[in-house]
Amino acid sequence: MSALPLLEVDDLRVTFNTASGPVHAVDGVSFTMEPGASLGVVGESGSGKSVTARALLRLFAITDDVRVAGSVHFDGVDLLRVDERRLRHVRGGQIGMIFQDPLTSLNPLMAVGEQIAESLRLHRGMGRAEAASEAVELLARVGIADPEKRATELPSSFSGGMRQRVMISLAIACRPRLLIADEPTTALDVTVQAEILLLLDELRRSEGMALMLITHDFGVVAATCEDVQVMYAGKLVEKASMAHLFDRANHPYTEGLLRLVPRFEDAHTGRLHPIPGQPPITGGGGSSCAFAPRCDHAFDRCRAEVPPEVAVGPEHLSACWLAAERARDTIEAGRPWKRDR
Amino acid sequence: MNGAAVVGTVSETGAPSADDPRRGVLEVNDVVVEFDTDGGRITAVDGVSLHLATGETLGLVGESGCGKSTLARAIMQLVPMQRGSVRLEDTDLGTLPRRELRRMRHRIQMVFQDPRGSLDPRMSVSTLIGEPLRVHSIGDRTSRARAVAEAMELVGLPTAVADRLPSELSGGQQQRVGIARAIVTDPAVLVCDEPVSALDVSIQAQIINVLDELRDELDLAMLFIAHDLSVVRHLSDRVAVMYLGQIVETGTASEVFSEPRHPYTQGLITSVPRADAASAARLQTARRLVLGELPSLLDPPSGCRYRTRCPYADDECAATEPPPEAVDHADGLHSLRCHHWRDIAARSEAQPSSNSQEQAQ
Repeated sequence: MSALPLLEVDDLRVTFNTASGPVHAVDGVSFTMEPGASLGVVGESGSGKSVTARALLRLFAITDDVRVAGSVHFDGVDLLRVDERRLRHVRGGQIGMIFQDPLTSLNPLMAVGEQIAESLRLHRGMGRAEAASEAVELLARVGIADPEKRATELPSSFSGGMRQRVMISLAIACRPRLLIADEPTTALDVTVQAEILLLLDELRRSEGMALMLITHDFGVVAATCEDVQVMYAGKLVEKASMAHLFDRANHPYTEGLLRLVPRFEDAHTGRLHPIPGQPPITGGGGSSCAFAPRCDHAFDRCRAEVPPEVAVGPEHLSACWLAAERARDTIEAGRPWKRDR
Repeated sequence: MNGAAVVGTVSETGAPSADDPRRGVLEVNDVVVEFDTDGGRITAVDGVSLHLATGETLGLVGESGCGKSTLARAIMQLVPMQRGSVRLEDTDLGTLPRRELRRMRHRIQMVFQDPRGSLDPRMSVSTLIGEPLRVHSIGDRTSRARAVAEAMELVGLPTAVADRLPSELSGGQQQRVGIARAIVTDPAVLVCDEPVSALDVSIQAQIINVLDELRDELDLAMLFIAHDLSVVRHLSDRVAVMYLGQIVETGTASEVFSEPRHPYTQGLITSVPRADAASAARLQTARRLVLGELPSLLDPPSGCRYRTRCPYADDECAATEPPPEAVDHADGLHSLRCHHWRDIAARSEAQPSSNSQEQAQ
């Protein structure tokens, strides 16, 4: 690892005050991303993966009663402590974002070329003509045929996949150093999804930007990301390289997620294995392992103490008491990383 | 090319005769559905035939706009057909007078994508599940209550939720109510249109298991429509792949998914992102198998519908529409519409890859 991370998130906590009490949506999350890195964030709905991404840029609704704590250093500056004006410059400038539904982020009444050009004028200080021609370039860059003509059209005249491409061209217009993609392909057909995932991967490599991809689908992570972290109840429960995680998932929640969905390549006999129960609606904040009530392997300690992050392999962390006890055993036996399964 | 071209057992060539053991509880023959849109008239379903036997699941896959949901609605007689017939247990639904069609409806029921949107928010769970019985005047009060309780048990709804409103249920429970409503009338056929795609992953697995168990326990014939190929493969005995209103390939799920013959099916399957080390490389292959964008139904390609996106297309594909052709080995169930599938199969055999589904160009 190089000395200067691009993004350094330390003990991030996001608490929403709701009518029924506090919800600890993000509960002490720490991670770093190097320049050009690719990180997949995986979890069920309500695991805190999207809130984590929104918290990086303090993107909350005005109606949200929210408290954010910890620090988010981007390029050495703590985004949680800069003023709103500075933050606006970072949003859509150094950090680009795309979401599941591009329609919510595009202005329905403005030609797509104009929207991109507006961003270029704002963030890159381009003149009108230069911005307009750069917008066409960007549309071509994300694989939109006949970009001069399409630049003059409204978002509604694009198909779902093409609209997501427009959204990506807008997100990369200001050459961000980090692109956050929140379920960018969930609403798309599988062939279109393949195109968008390849496009994100190519852009990351050619533009040298880092990619944080939020999804519930390990297949999507495998196609685009080198690293992966799994979230549950506002906490990171496992971090690893994707290549390492395929056959060495450690945390029972990760194992559950991997077994939950039918894998296309498997023999299709027997029933699926849903994880029993549901994630806690209040998020984290407890004094035990939040996954213990749903975990087949839980023992007394899991219900009494929050598990620490334990190294279970090279650059592989798991927040699980079972892993902690195994790691202690293997270290005592003098053979780290080689645990029996 | 092999001389044995069109084989008679292919469903598209006509329904099996009355003494055929494979004769289905549902026989869909040459259905055409046309719509008027702002841009002109389109053929959403273009001559589709399929059959379903008791206890069998047929998966219907294809991209948005391929006509799979329209076909489902045509089978349910919810949209008019321009041509073709739908026979349910030997009754031709298309020619039935309205009243008699209503009477037949309890034998074919549908499960929808959005459980919340399809449930009346003011009705309790037990009222919702009993509603189809009252509408069809099936049984008396006591037998209806018994049927509702049975349906709730079959879909795994605890009796404690019987008096709750849909808004008090989780998404998974709402979909269980949707399924209970569909099975309470003791249907022969269940049509499921994207029944799990609106649900969170962990809930999806539960609902898939419910459908799987019901099919076995009630001996249902199930038409399962979904865009998630892994889910379809898991649940289906046979599959049909639709493209621009036509079935381009059909066969047993294991055949079609492990040895796809149509270039479109190959592209679809290769596009599924899998959690393994070859994931990105596989998507690169997929990109070479499915070129460009879906053409508009307002101006469908001449000849083969897929030719504008197919890496193997030539003049013959533009000139003539490939008829359904059976793959000669196996059980006669596997058929497809492609002029060049034999050449394509031979070519990919000459270039072996680590995986039979990795048929690069």
